[in-house]
Amino acid sequence: MTELARFEAVVLPHLDAAYTLARYLTRSEHDAEDVVQDACLRALKYFDGFRGEEGTSARAWLLAIVRNTAFSARRRQRPDADVLEFDEAQHSGAVADEHPEAALLRSAAKESLGHALDRLAPEFREVIVLRELEGLSYKEISDVAGVPVGTVMSRLSRARARLQQALRGEEEG
Amino acid sequence: MTHPGFEAQLDAYLDGELATVDASELEVHLAQCPECARFRQERLELRAAIRARVPAFEAPAALRERVRAAVGAAVRGRAPRRFTAWGVWRPLAIAASLAVVAVGSWRLALQRTAGEALADDVLGSHIRSLMPGHLTDVLSSDQHTVKPWFNGKLDFSPPVYDFAGRGYPLIGGRLDYVDGRGVAALVYGRRQHLINVFLWPAARRAAAAPSTRTRQGYHLLHWATADYTYWAVSDLGLPELGEFAGLLRQADSAAGAPK
Repeated sequence: MTELARFEAVVLPHLDAAYTLARYLTRSEHDAEDVVQDACLRALKYFDGFRGEEGTSARAWLLAIVRNTAFSARRRQRPDADVLEFDEAQHSGAVADEHPEAALLRSAAKESLGHALDRLAPEFREVIVLRELEGLSYKEISDVAGVPVGTVMSRLSRARARLQQALRGEEEG
Repeated sequence: MTHPGFEAQLDAYLDGELATVDASELEVHLAQCPECARFRQERLELRAAIRARVPAFEAPAALRERVRAAVGAAVRGRAPRRFTAWGVWRPLAIAASLAVVAVGSWRLALQRTAGEALADDVLGSHIRSLMPGHLTDVLSSDQHTVKPWFNGKLDFSPPVYDFAGRGYPLIGGRLDYVDGRGVAALVYGRRQHLINVFLWPAARRAAAAPSTRTRQGYHLLHWATADYTYWAVSDLGLPELGEFAGLLRQADSAAGAPK
């Protein structure tokens, strides 16, 4: 099998997954297509390093490249995003520490579920997409996002708390 | 909400990601704590809402072609030209794809009615099977027990595989009735989810690539080999159901199903 054929056999089956992740990270059809194409070219460059051994999921490998491509494209477009340190507590919008009344007021804003997902910081949006849509394990998500499994666990929980709040708001509205 | 320290752990538990020891401790707590039990209920509702309303996307065909072209060009050692070549061909490609859509859509429309009725039928059987006591007639994770069980009950001997090693253990099988005939239903598991696979001999001996449908929060995958018509139904996410179907198709072609 030529290298091209091998690459196509390993990578192309995961193009839908790659495009889905890119769509949710960029929130734009056009940007998502560019990210996926760039990511595939990057993947080709690293392909020698990927041997597809037992236990290495090609999907998680490609998604990690897509993820990094999307994040660096975002930094190019919005250089300030790089300067502002990402802060777990500040960006999560989690209600855990919030006064119940404040939480109630916020849910009164009646945000739809999809909208709430769009408004999550990308570090939280990606764990939801990787888990709920792509069905990745915590370990795979930790490889893709480049953070420890414990961080995956807490980000998922916080992101879900935020989405749950939006869902509750919808039901009450 | 409640027991703040517990929320992430409960989430991990519901995701099937907690170590067995921790999980059994948590189960004891869940049985005693109505607040945590409510938390679990809400999370299950959230999961259902996400599955029903947050879609996974299909990569557009044009993107697929663009990627193949760019990768091919890069492999051949030329600098990948991102848009120039595409710019020239784009209007032609769009015209060509419109023609395909125009020709394809009326034909599809004719087939759709029959296909959708069948999908309803399959989904109905799936939901019925989830009601207590309806899931399996033969409960066994051993493919060599399940396959012979169908002998004399159907006019064909369905291929049965076990994918426990890949995280999709065989749970059992049962007889079902779909599309006006007796069919084999094989039940597989994936974490806390169930997958029903319905199969019967193909009427037209033509292989068909998988197509997907989503209804009432369930995903349906349909494909055909030269020998069998397949339907796989589950509340599992589409990517995983797709992976599972891939395993089945692989196993079928490896078994070299007789032509």
